[in-house]
Amino acid sequence: MPNLVTKSLTKRFGGLVAVNDVSFSLSRGEILGVIGPNGAGKTTFINLVSGIYLPTSGTISFNGRDITKTPAHLRAGMGIARTFQLIHPLENLDVLENVMLGFLFSKRMSQKEARRESEALCESLALGGLHREVSQISMLETKKMEIAHALGNMPEVLFLDEVMAGLNSDEMKEMIALVKQLAKDRNLAVGVVEHVMGVIRELTDRVIVLEAGELIAEGPYAEVSKNPRVVEAYLGGAA
Amino acid sequence: MKNPTKWAVPLVFVAAAALLPLAGKALPAIAGDYPLSLARSVFTYMALAVSWDMLLRSGQVSFGIAGFYGIGVYAAALSVLRAGFSPLASILFAGIIAGFIAFLLGFVILRLRAIYFSITTLALGEIFRIILHNGGEFTGGAEGVIIPRIISNNSAVLYWLSLAGVLIAIGMSAWFERSKIRFALTAIRNNELAAKSSGIGIFKYMMIAFVATSFIQGIIGGIQLQGYGVASPSDSFSGDYTLLPLAMALLGGIHSTSGPIIGAILLGVASEFLKLKIPYGHLIVYGFIIVLVILLMPQGLYGLWRNKARARRVSRIDSGQASADAAARAGASKEQPRA
Repeated sequence: MPNLVTKSLTKRFGGLVAVNDVSFSLSRGEILGVIGPNGAGKTTFINLVSGIYLPTSGTISFNGRDITKTPAHLRAGMGIARTFQLIHPLENLDVLENVMLGFLFSKRMSQKEARRESEALCESLALGGLHREVSQISMLETKKMEIAHALGNMPEVLFLDEVMAGLNSDEMKEMIALVKQLAKDRNLAVGVVEHVMGVIRELTDRVIVLEAGELIAEGPYAEVSKNPRVVEAYLGGAA
Repeated sequence: MKNPTKWAVPLVFVAAAALLPLAGKALPAIAGDYPLSLARSVFTYMALAVSWDMLLRSGQVSFGIAGFYGIGVYAAALSVLRAGFSPLASILFAGIIAGFIAFLLGFVILRLRAIYFSITTLALGEIFRIILHNGGEFTGGAEGVIIPRIISNNSAVLYWLSLAGVLIAIGMSAWFERSKIRFALTAIRNNELAAKSSGIGIFKYMMIAFVATSFIQGIIGGIQLQGYGVASPSDSFSGDYTLLPLAMALLGGIHSTSGPIIGAILLGVASEFLKLKIPYGHLIVYGFIIVLVILLMPQGLYGLWRNKARARRVSRIDSGQASADAAARAGASKEQPRA
């Protein structure tokens, strides 16, 4: 049974329909790509699933439970985690303390437990120098910290919103290997929003394509990338 | 991260404050009631400054200190006059009433942010004042009320009471800094979306901060009543109780317990001398200090010192960490099976 299911999910901002009637599902052990041109509604879709926005209509269920109206911080506790397109390292907390947040609040651990878990997690991500200020770390380290921060919720479902942005090609390779490893080791359901198609090809088992808020195609990358509607969405229709 | 120097300032302050009355007996220069009464005034503002900073750690700037302080003064006075509470019970009652009012109002105003939050808290103080001003006989109207008997006329007793007030503030601030609350408030201050996504209930932690700081402000109002015996709309809600703690915390360094302590001592003592030289001149000096600190030293005195200390510590830890990492990598590469 899929872990995360949306049915006819719709979000309107005034007259704009940002996400329109999207039904999809995501299961543990699967890496799903969410692609589409700028403004297609990818980030809005993640915001709906993670609870930052409440949908205008439609439902979201997680492990068979309706979570359509569950607030974001409780969804985090249930096992839905995400990273942000615009990275959000938290100043005044060092790298380790950033990673500790999910363990402390989603998993309600003591500071001592959260510290121990976070150290182990960072080690598994090859992220060191844990007592540095977040302003002092590299882009790759920041991205790893963001992922560690999300993994602090000990999620079953993890959404990565443009986690490759700002990385060079070597760093991307490292990140792709890392995400694959994480998905396998932790049996995660991973949703990846990405603009770099090479990453989507390498990383994902399945892809959904959004355009103007609507789901226009679904399937393995090789198949979807040949779909005429998808090509048209990316390149623009013939005049 | 263990940081032994973090509590140096509060500990030194508490030790010095505890020894001051004894020192007065030994040294004629600081004997008598005047040093103790000056210290009480510093303690009052210090506790308010610490409490203001505690809420600031969530990212919200409150201008409602005088409001909850004034509520405390009145709650204590009326509980003594109308219900015959003992002095200590009236002080506790003052804190509980201020905290409870904050709790009720919190459901509305904790949804506001930034300037809207600040302006609303400023207006709240004014609303409290107007309500009590127009409370008729029960609140004493424009003249306020006088309580017949304070806990003691002995300045030493009042001194210990004020010190207890500031210890409550410092103790609660330390609890904020040492518990999960620090993580929650720091995350909320940085980015509420990221905080939510880590499972932090934003409203819950904002409420804890708002009620706890209002409780402290109410307690300090209750204690202050024991010193002066009067609750009146103009004195109990004076803008000084909002502005001076704010200036003290800014000068000393925000987002810490030590900063407001340092700032309160420096500005509290300085303003006392300025008051003698130029009446009300201390307010002009305060204005200058707020402007200069924001422009030149937004971290305050303690912030400057803390950043230096942290930079030293991080360079030490990282050099240790780097060599450990290098050793681990060297070990790992040796064990790597050859393909």
